Amino acid sequence: MILLIILLIPILTGLFLLPFRNAAVMRPLALASSIANLLITLALISSSETTTFTLSWINFMGINFSLGFDGISLIMILLTNLLFPFIILAGFNREQRNVHLLNFLILFTQSALLGVFLAQNAFLFYVFWELALIPVYFILLIWGGDGRKTITFKFFIYTLTGSLFLLFGIIYLYQLTPGTHTTDFSAFNQLHIPAGTQNWLFWVLFIAFAIKMPVFPFHTWQPPTYNMASTQGVMILAGVMTKMGIYGALRFLFPIIPLGVLYWQNTVIVLSLIGVIYASMIAFRKTNLKMLIAFSSMAHISLMVAAMFVVNTFALQGLLFQVISHGVTIIALFYLASLIKEKTGTLELPQMGGLKLQAPNMALLLLIVVLGSIALPLTSGFVGEFLMITGLFQQSIWFATAGGMTMILGAIYMLYAYQRAMLGERKTVFEQITDIRTLDYLILIPLIVVIIGLGIYPQPIFNLLEQSIHSTQNLIKPVADVVSIVAH
Amino acid sequence: MSALIFTIVLGIIVLYLGFIKNKAVLAPIAIAGLLIALYLSIQDWGLGSKYFHDMILFDNFSIAFNISMIIITILIFLFGIDYYKRMEFHVAEQYALMIFALTGAFLMTSFSNLIMLFLGIEILSIPLYVLAGGKKASFRSNEASFKYFMLGSFATAIFLFGIALVYGASATFYLPEIKIYLAQFNGNLPPMVMVGLLFILIGVAFKVAAAPFHFWSPDVYEGAPTIVTAFMATVVKTAGFAAFYRLLGMGLLPLPIPLEKALWVMTGLTLLIGNLGALKQTNFKRLLAYSAIAHSGFIMLAMLSQHDSAAAVLLYYTFVYSLATVPLFIIFILAKRAADGQEELSIFRGLFKAKHWIAVFMTILLMSLAGIPPTSGFIAKYQVFVLSISKGILLTSIFAILMAIVGIYYYFNVVREVFTEREQPEVIIVSKLNAALIIVCSVAVVLLGIFVWRLPI
Repeated sequence: MILLIILLIPILTGLFLLPFRNAAVMRPLALASSIANLLITLALISSSETTTFTLSWINFMGINFSLGFDGISLIMILLTNLLFPFIILAGFNREQRNVHLLNFLILFTQSALLGVFLAQNAFLFYVFWELALIPVYFILLIWGGDGRKTITFKFFIYTLTGSLFLLFGIIYLYQLTPGTHTTDFSAFNQLHIPAGTQNWLFWVLFIAFAIKMPVFPFHTWQPPTYNMASTQGVMILAGVMTKMGIYGALRFLFPIIPLGVLYWQNTVIVLSLIGVIYASMIAFRKTNLKMLIAFSSMAHISLMVAAMFVVNTFALQGLLFQVISHGVTIIALFYLASLIKEKTGTLELPQMGGLKLQAPNMALLLLIVVLGSIALPLTSGFVGEFLMITGLFQQSIWFATAGGMTMILGAIYMLYAYQRAMLGERKTVFEQITDIRTLDYLILIPLIVVIIGLGIYPQPIFNLLEQSIHSTQNLIKPVADVVSIVAH
Repeated sequence: MSALIFTIVLGIIVLYLGFIKNKAVLAPIAIAGLLIALYLSIQDWGLGSKYFHDMILFDNFSIAFNISMIIITILIFLFGIDYYKRMEFHVAEQYALMIFALTGAFLMTSFSNLIMLFLGIEILSIPLYVLAGGKKASFRSNEASFKYFMLGSFATAIFLFGIALVYGASATFYLPEIKIYLAQFNGNLPPMVMVGLLFILIGVAFKVAAAPFHFWSPDVYEGAPTIVTAFMATVVKTAGFAAFYRLLGMGLLPLPIPLEKALWVMTGLTLLIGNLGALKQTNFKRLLAYSAIAHSGFIMLAMLSQHDSAAAVLLYYTFVYSLATVPLFIIFILAKRAADGQEELSIFRGLFKAKHWIAVFMTILLMSLAGIPPTSGFIAKYQVFVLSISKGILLTSIFAILMAIVGIYYYFNVVREVFTEREQPEVIIVSKLNAALIIVCSVAVVLLGIFVWRLPI
């Protein structure tokens, strides 16, 4: 029941608030509901109970409305509910058209995302997966920046293309289940699919997740979309929606088609590592701050994908830790980028410079977030990326080397960007600029507390992972089994 | 049977009501009559009664489809109340002709004899030839009528020729007997029967506008009065597919290999031409015409999968498709009026600003046609793919999925127009009845996707 409550709070709040046209009523209530949801989630985590909710839905097609969670879902739910209060808060005190609709769509997205992470039935998973796309489509289309029509369209078609292949895969798995067919994950996990089938099925399923994350070469929708999206839109996209891809890959690929995973393992790792280097190089050349952050996000996500596919406990732990860390860091970065845009009216680095003299506090906060993003020790990014690179190292030293480039190249382009934006001579055009306001502190300080807190004391998340270590081991067990059989 | 007879009488009554000069009474009487027909149909459920030397069989399949078509016709008549208010038509004829066409549709769902199928198709088609030319002063409308008539009669002739050839070989019009006759050849049919069957299939394919026999449909859809287009895109299409399925299921399956291959090629072509054709359309009615062709492709995929549940899926698919299509035509008419008779996609620009709620409902309807959750259109497509994939038809299913993506592209092209800003959007006036229709249909489209049913037919 508590799962249903967590799932429904955002959407019901959104529906309830829809008639209120008044932003002053709408926003605080939306925020309050998302904070309440976060508290319930924390209570759920600390109680460490397992609970499920099942309702029979479409009987003749074996579809159940069943919610449940394991450690991996829990991380994802925590991430979602942790980030959404900040995403809603980012809209405060800002001029927005149709506030009621915007907040409704944001809350709608939150519910759909939670549904993706809670669903224990593949059909249900798919429905939520698509549902999450619809509000985001409108958030981008209505509140986006220049060129939103074309870019949103590309984003939409691109992601739906992947989704439909996923649908094909789900139906294919469905008709393989014995007896009266079902789309429950538990039934999918029991399947023994021939190796040849798994090899092609892998791509049918993986393409949807690869587009969502995105993995090179399926990334072309991402940078322009991030660049065009409104602040809240990009926070949702980069903070949470990319993690949908990671979650989906973990949920679908490893337990169901382990042979396919092993067959394509190196291909995907190499693609991801190409993505790491490629995205880092482009980020270095970008002069647009938002574009630069978009590519840096892609580099970090690519490293996570590579770590996922080496299939060992180290890398998976690092991956799940990084899910939280990356989510927090990236929304802080994008928020800061939009602050800079608001203050200077530009995102182009060459036109900036000397902002530190006008807004020292903003510069300081940005510096901390940037350091978190480049995984400096004592920030949360370091813990996650260190574990992931250790995992990659166990597979091959070359993988570890290429993966390590994320940190090195990241340090170069991020610090260079920081230097160009914040340091340097005082510019006369920026003399009117004021430092950041209370609202910005309210958003940035907690995020930074998380970034540094988890860097110094990562234990809470590891405790959570302790719970989920069981699930991670369950997850990679089929793959590990195959490896051990081959070894003997 | 009583429903069939009652509907014919209703048609005649409505026709004579034309002598009363009061247009306002027509639609209520016609709708009340259809409700009675609906009730009579439901009464027949489960009886499986046969008439006229077993030439007609009202089994659950035919009754389910009849009910579905009556409901859609009622929706169209409700739309007609506002639509015909502004037209200088002889309205009684219009309603009567649609009711007559509906009786033809009843025959097409309930035949067990080829002659009855032929009669059904003719009774359905002849009123449509007239209806398509409803706007007498319009060049387009006349063209549509003439084109439909010419090509339609040609297709009918081919169809009749096919029946004659099959009869010549098998000496029977009864489908169950034809099935027995065909079974004795083990797939090696004599050429005469083969050609006969091919001609029969071509005749039916023409009615459902399956490629390559679809050329009439965009022009006719565009030229015909919008309400007639809505009728053709929904009721006529449902009837066509019910007949197609019954023909295959009752008599022709398992098809000989060359014919089955021909049907698969038709399915592929229909998907391809419907979807790619829709991409380039700027006229909304033509877009919906191509969209109708595209949906024919998905329905054919379900039908040819020869899965046990194909009939139920067919019913669900055609019903939810019709339910989404009718209100789209209503919204189109409203936007067209606001834009002084233009029919381009751009008439929807700024709709979101002008009328929030219409934009939202239109998006839901288009989402259903595109097959995106949580709408019933998604469940319909999902079921089609379940049928085809579980029968091992993988490559065609992948192809259909690619075409579904193309579909999403052109439907969301319209959504994009709706949500595009415009300085001074057209003022759209919506009557209460039309508003209710749009809302009810949109809500039903969503609810049917949540409460999914599958009738045992």
